[in-house]
Amino acid sequence: MTSALPAAPTGEAPTGAAPVRDLHYVGLATRVVSFVVDAALITLVDVLVGVGAALILAVLHVPSELKTILAVIGAAAYVLGSILYFVIFWCTTGQTPGARVMQLRVVSSDGARVKPRWAVVRCIGVVLAALPLFAGFVPILFDARRRGFQDWLAHTAVVDAPGPSIAEVSRAKQRAIREASRQPPPAAGG
Amino acid sequence: MSEDERRSSRLGPLGPIVGLGTRAATATLRPIVGVAEAAAGAGRSVERRAVNRVLEGDELERVVVVAINNTHIQAALKQALESDGAAQVIDSLFDSGLLDHFFERLLASESLWNLIDEIAGSPAVTAAISQQGLGFADQVGDQVRDRSRRADDWMERAARRMIGRQPRVLPAEPDASN
Repeated sequence: MTSALPAAPTGEAPTGAAPVRDLHYVGLATRVVSFVVDAALITLVDVLVGVGAALILAVLHVPSELKTILAVIGAAAYVLGSILYFVIFWCTTGQTPGARVMQLRVVSSDGARVKPRWAVVRCIGVVLAALPLFAGFVPILFDARRRGFQDWLAHTAVVDAPGPSIAEVSRAKQRAIREASRQPPPAAGG
Repeated sequence: MSEDERRSSRLGPLGPIVGLGTRAATATLRPIVGVAEAAAGAGRSVERRAVNRVLEGDELERVVVVAINNTHIQAALKQALESDGAAQVIDSLFDSGLLDHFFERLLASESLWNLIDEIAGSPAVTAAISQQGLGFADQVGDQVRDRSRRADDWMERAARRMIGRQPRVLPAEPDASN
């Protein structure tokens, strides 16, 4: 059941129809590492925001009832923020920061960019796949296209997206700056 | 009272005669002294021009190159460096405490630290350091990606073996000519 999805152009977000060729689907271990990087990033931001909010509340002497309400709002913001994090990255570049590090990309089953509604569905799918002791991720090990429950639900696939590393991008920028500074200025009044 | 008058008063009746002699000698020698000074100035100028010509010309470079390439000089230098005398000179240099003093003064110098600060803060050095850091992160990332991809295949093979299914047929490598 090997499929030939339209390939995403290397290093660029998929935009639509592309030449058909065999893709490398990414397996469970790589996706777990990518998710761990994303989870660490989200947690770091949330901890910083939480500490800031706690400091402000400590200074303001807020009543305990209001504190409860604020805690509920904070929890809702945490959940919403996490969903938005994944949804926005999946439906824009197809790569979260963790996916960028691991050089993988989420694409729809026709190889195009994931639409926002399908990104939301995939996010829900991830939660549903994790609920029964992560059983929803097991199909990744057996499916020919390495799709989990969330991929099946949202009609997506996770593919390799080799691209230039951060160091290579930085080196290229430095080189461009050096070359630009070496070029003589255009002759005035030419 | 002028100097001549004071000297005349000290010498008594011989004073005027001596003063007259001195003035006569001075007047006689003045042209000779002038000529001597002019000759010395011309000599200094010639010397300066000669030194400039030697330093600016190719001759000095040729002499140095020939001297360095000369086997006799090389052998002599080698012999001198291998001799006990050279070792003693170096020993005495360190024993004298001159180097210690030099480095103490160097480290105490504010200019040195200003120079180090300038170099450390220069765009070229900071760019090199950040490139080094990014390069290291790149290497770590490459390793992690490589290992995780292998882990993907290994886990999949193990899971399929457990349920007795055939290994997944890996997609063909993309054609390099495309």
